[in-house]
Amino acid sequence: MPITVNKAPTTLVAPCSLQQLVEALELNPNGLALAVNQKIVAKSQWPETLLTEHDDVSAFQIVTGG
Amino acid sequence: MLTIDGVTLNSPLLLGTGKFASSEQLMAAVQASGTELVTLAMKRLDFAGPTDDILTPLQQLGVRLLPNTSGAKNAREAIFAAELAREALGTHWLKLEIHPDPRYLLPDPIETLTAAAELVKLGFVVLPYCPADPVLCKRLEDAGCAAVMPLGAPIGSNQGLQTLPMLEIIIEQADVPVIIDAGLGAPSHACQALELGASAVLVNTAIAGASDPVAMASSFRLACQAGMAARQGGLAVPSIEANASSPLTAFLETL
Repeated sequence: MPITVNKAPTTLVAPCSLQQLVEALELNPNGLALAVNQKIVAKSQWPETLLTEHDDVSAFQIVTGG
Repeated sequence: MLTIDGVTLNSPLLLGTGKFASSEQLMAAVQASGTELVTLAMKRLDFAGPTDDILTPLQQLGVRLLPNTSGAKNAREAIFAAELAREALGTHWLKLEIHPDPRYLLPDPIETLTAAAELVKLGFVVLPYCPADPVLCKRLEDAGCAAVMPLGAPIGSNQGLQTLPMLEIIIEQADVPVIIDAGLGAPSHACQALELGASAVLVNTAIAGASDPVAMASSFRLACQAGMAARQGGLAVPSIEANASSPLTAFLETL
């Protein structure tokens, strides 16, 4: 199943939840925020949010800054 | 003392976490500064970039985290960034900043007020970085902001309190904490801001850009203590004319 993560083409085995994507990409969930098709998905909803073909996942992280 | 959203912070020094040479240096500066509130930013995850976890050590130090919306060029982007930050950190505290011009990084007052009003409705505790405009600061306060953060000078410029006369009016009129943000370049600037009556200062570049950031963090801590103590002491009133400190008697007139 093709999707994009921060514009990079990625292939997943369906079904795949956002939580499974985070684990597959070995992302640190501390300080991480995710949006699917420009809609922010709360952390509590990651396990229930199933990705579908051509979804556009955006991943954001906390960094240092003033 | 600085109270935001019912939370009292004993240190009037807020520390920005950008531009430090390493995570270790940042943590040492946080500790030396005595700060209880540090700012952070959001960015799109870079899979090819470094994956230093700066969050865990900050959380272990026990400081509160204040995400900002840096990078937002308008209210819509700022609201999106705010919601991302709330998800990423689990805090509804937010430093709202919207500065579309990369040269001077001056905050856009119209977009800032628009975003502030919306974010308050969405349940955020909004601390807006804003121009040192007394009218705007009252409007931000009326919109429900928990504090206002007028600038002393452009971000990272180290120029000090260039907006001093306007800051005095803002402080005199404010019914929410006034946090002087941006442009403070020396501990004396922080001390001056607190002497004036500001509730707090936010410093980043002046500390991170110092030859010894940890020593400078400590210097800012001491300057903030001095500024708060000076305010409690009640500053003597300036005057144009001299006012003798020694007795001016005629004891030499017989010579």
